Order: sequence, then structure tokens, then C-alpha cells
Amino acid sequence: MGKSRISNNIRKLRFYHDEMTQEQLAAKVGVTRQTIIAIESAKYSPSLELAFRIALVFDSPLEEVFSYDPKDDPI
Amino acid sequence: MSYKEKNVAVSLVTFTLILGFYLVQVTRIVRGGGLSDNVFGLWATVVVLGIIATIILTIIAHIGFAIFEVIRTGDDDPKIDDSEDERDKLIDLRGTQVAYIVSSIGTLLAMLTFALGRSPYVMFSLLILSGLVAQVLGDIFRLVLYRRGF
Repeated sequence: MGKSRISNNIRKLRFYHDEMTQEQLAAKVGVTRQTIIAIESAKYSPSLELAFRIALVFDSPLEEVFSYDPKDDPI
Repeated sequence: MSYKEKNVAVSLVTFTLILGFYLVQVTRIVRGGGLSDNVFGLWATVVVLGIIATIILTIIAHIGFAIFEVIRTGDDDPKIDDSEDERDKLIDLRGTQVAYIVSSIGTLLAMLTFALGRSPYVMFSLLILSGLVAQVLGDIFRLVLYRRGF
């Protein structure tokens, strides 16, 4: 429980895309605004499909939207 | 707080009240002469209460949320997002897992009392208790996941 090990740039990308709101992004990818909030604050790791949908909205590759630091992984 | 989260909170309050009622009534029965046929009425009451209270409080919560949204937004027909996305489903699944584990342990303990020679009334009372506790703990776990993430 707690912080996800996958970080993201969604807040920054939303700002660069005409200051898209969380609600607008949520509607585009088919989730609730609370899920977008949880993803942005690293409280939830999205499924692969949702991650791709978010990347598609920003017309960016997945690695530019999400990043994973192996140093944070205890395994 | 999302709509689903509010529903979980309503469920938690409902079943906590029912659990409290059940514990008070069982304590009263035990002090009044022990468990016997008099618990059948209590079991039926708890089961019916659980079903009816859940339905009624869910409806009241729906109406309450709608009224709150009308007041908050000033819109006569507010859009309430009651959809269930992948995160809601995952949290619900995790909560159900916790509830099943607690319920299973409670069931085993209940059967153990019967195996050790206690009356079947004790076993059935513990079965009802474990079901209520499982529901409450499952809802608490869901709220923790909503707040703290996973």
C-alpha cells in the first residue's frame, strides 16, 4: 500500500495540452477523475491498457508519460 | 471523495450499526439466560436488517448525493459520475478478498466451538458475527485503499 513505484508526468503534459483538466483527461481515457488524481499522485499504478490510452491522448510515447525507477523496487 | 467511495462509507456505517445492534442484543440474551431458541429472531432480524438497510440507505445516499450536487453546482440536472472504472473494481476485489478471509476464519472458529462441545446456538451466533465483522473490515480496507492508494 502507499506510493506506487511508477512515476509520471501527467500533470505537466495536461498543462502543455491546452491546460487540460483532470476531468477532461478522465473522460478521454474512460476512468473517473479520482483515478486520474490517484495516478498523478502515484497512489495507483494504471493497467497497461490505461497507460497506453493516456499516452495516446498526449500523443507521446509511453516512456515520456510514465517512468519506473528500479532503485525504488525492493525485489 | 468519489461516488463509489461514498457508497463504501455508507455501507461501512450501515453494517457497523447493525454489528453494534447485534452485539448488544446477543450480550443481552447471554446475560438473560444464555443462547437458546430466542436467538432465531435475532438472526432473522439481522439478516433482514442487513438487506433492507443496505437498499434503503443506498437509495437515500443516491438522493442525498444528487441534492448535494444540485446545491454545489447550481445545476438542475447535475452529472453524477457513478461509473466503476478499473481502480474501483480492483479496490472492490481487494476488499472482498479481505472479507472472505475474515469470514472464513470466523466460520472455522464457529465450527471449532461446535466441535469442542458448545451448543449449535453459539456456532450460528458466531457465524452471523463473522459475516458482519467481515463486511465491516472489508469496507474499512476499501476506504484505506481509496485514501492511501496501492
